[in-house]
Amino acid sequence: RTLDRELGNMDTDETLPLSQRSEWSDVVPLTQDDGPNPVVPIAYKDEFRETMDYFRAIYSSDERSPRALRLTEETLRLNSGNYTVWHFRRLVLEALNHDLYQELEFIESIAEDNSKNYQLWHHRRWVAEKLGPDVAGRELEFTRRVLSLDAKHYHAWSHRQWALRALGGWEDELDYCHELLEADVFNNSAWNQRYYVITRSPSSGGVEAMRESEVSYTIKAILTNPANESSWLYLKALYKDNKELWISDPSVSSVCLNVLSRTDCFHGFALSTLLDLLCEGLSPTNEHIDSVRALATEEPDTNLANLVCTILGRVDPIRANYWAWRKSKITVAAM
Amino acid sequence: MSETAVSIDWDRANSEDEEENYDDDEEDYSSPAQSSPRPPPSANFEKDRHLVYLEMMYELLPYHYQSQEINRLTLAHFIISGLHFLGARDRIDKDVVAKWVLSFQALPSNRVSLKDGEFYGFFGSRSSQFPKDENEDFLTHNSSHLASTYCALAILKVTGHDLSTIDSDSLLLSMKNLQQDDGSFMPIHIGGETDLRFVYCAAAVCYMLDNWSGMDKEKAKNYILNCQSYDGGFGLIPGSESHGGATYCAVASLRLMGFIGVDLLSSDSSSSVIDPSLLLNWCLQRQANDGGFQGRTNKPSDTCYAFWIGAVLRLIGGDALIDKIALRNFLLKCQSKYGGFSKFPGQLPDLYHSYYGYTAFSLLEEPSLSPLCPELGLPLFAASGI
Repeated sequence: RTLDRELGNMDTDETLPLSQRSEWSDVVPLTQDDGPNPVVPIAYKDEFRETMDYFRAIYSSDERSPRALRLTEETLRLNSGNYTVWHFRRLVLEALNHDLYQELEFIESIAEDNSKNYQLWHHRRWVAEKLGPDVAGRELEFTRRVLSLDAKHYHAWSHRQWALRALGGWEDELDYCHELLEADVFNNSAWNQRYYVITRSPSSGGVEAMRESEVSYTIKAILTNPANESSWLYLKALYKDNKELWISDPSVSSVCLNVLSRTDCFHGFALSTLLDLLCEGLSPTNEHIDSVRALATEEPDTNLANLVCTILGRVDPIRANYWAWRKSKITVAAM
Repeated sequence: MSETAVSIDWDRANSEDEEENYDDDEEDYSSPAQSSPRPPPSANFEKDRHLVYLEMMYELLPYHYQSQEINRLTLAHFIISGLHFLGARDRIDKDVVAKWVLSFQALPSNRVSLKDGEFYGFFGSRSSQFPKDENEDFLTHNSSHLASTYCALAILKVTGHDLSTIDSDSLLLSMKNLQQDDGSFMPIHIGGETDLRFVYCAAAVCYMLDNWSGMDKEKAKNYILNCQSYDGGFGLIPGSESHGGATYCAVASLRLMGFIGVDLLSSDSSSSVIDPSLLLNWCLQRQANDGGFQGRTNKPSDTCYAFWIGAVLRLIGGDALIDKIALRNFLLKCQSKYGGFSKFPGQLPDLYHSYYGYTAFSLLEEPSLSPLCPELGLPLFAASGI
């Protein structure tokens, strides 16, 4: 572009307004017809208005040319959420049989400024679908890069899940989740991805087959950070369709007891997990009773589940109403 | 500001899906006040300030909103419906607004063209809407959009326009073209992402038009159920992490379609299509120690989730269980001295977070605000057709 300027190239110099570029001299820009009494008008900047006027012109005349492709790029840099422009760009790409690998790069360059729009990711998916399993690695690499800047990027995770399903590459995914969790064990998206892999990977035996190793992994994470809701949720999820096992598996019970016996950490999730177990029919042992009573500051309730609710109201005060309500719902079965 | 549940770009740096703390929102006009120490937040919902803010936006949206051009109807909805919540319906000319909104409707030239697979809803903006071709009298470049259709109908309802006067047959018949085999919806017939947001838009459209011929409810329900995550919340697509906005779309859709009744929690949960106690727990766990609601586990609190999740709790009968004082205090910190709300405390306001700040305060039964219809996200009077 700098060279264009130096050479006085008015054809394609993108720093010039479109109306001054000779490349576009044959096109009559189509202004937006806001009609009489437009409501909530926008104070468009001149560059924006002009670019949209030229876009409207080629969109209306359905010009699917190289310069049209360049114009959609300029328009998208001003307005990356405009789904009409993205759609037209796809039509032009097809008409020109444009190199879609280059298109992947184009998307990456737009993503640098703003990767949080649905249209960009939909476009990425469209391109990747056309290129097929050959780009499996590339899609995982791209999402990995985006996630390295924002490890909870919702669009990136959706795209990654789609890429795994459609293009493959499951083998290293659990390791990748582990990598992210090592960096931040509170990353709920990474925990969600673990669940995604064990339940959907074609080579996973499903939750049944993976339960033992995943429970062991999760318990380690819980003990490192008992205040991390994600790990407790994940642990419970591993027994989602098998409540009997959840109640009877000693690992579950013991992680609660382990955390409750510590004086240096938040007890809320250990207590609520224990409450859920009791409500599902766990028969509390003396160990359970003693470790809960040790936390009681008031006269201990003979009903263990009741007592757990009372303590929760104190240690998790923002949910005091909820714990009081839970207490009111405790049925005879949980006593 | 691709915000809005409706255009539902929750995840923009400018908008919804929060991510990093304190990314700056769209309205980055610099103010000398930025460098001075922040005054303590007001202890009240400052209705007059909000009126000034909305009226200013109604007159002219600053250039920062040009990148939201395609969703202009959505911006209009936030402003106009927002003014109605604040009891200021008199500040706008209803007839002018209705006429303007109706001019965005995509109309087929005849019944035959309804079979062409296109969707005849409402455009989101004038930017790609062209007058009908003089010679051939067909609609060139129909990019009418499901979310814009929701916004159009919302504005019409809020301004008291009689919806029976619009051509809802074409709208509903053609809306079916957008529904996928798995029950989800595309927003636009030329192709787009499919997820829970548009299931919600479709259900809300059918509900407002009181006509369910526009969608297969059973298929939609199955898609919704497939979106429930292991922790009780809902993700935008099956397998996705549970998310406040997605959870709202799921639960509100089920309510609109009649698959869940009022006070889900007190009814026998084994007869329910969703797991209500797990959902309740997920929702309530989203209230953070700062009093605000987070959109996902272990993410920062954000104004808008006070509505998305607050409304779910209202719909399932659990809203009495939140800590309303703590929530109110958080929201007041997000209230801007210029009027409007920002997503995090101390930032500049934007229309999306402002609208959902108003709806959140309405859920908290703020006296100066109209009551809310939680499943539509609109003032109650609009929902009941008064």
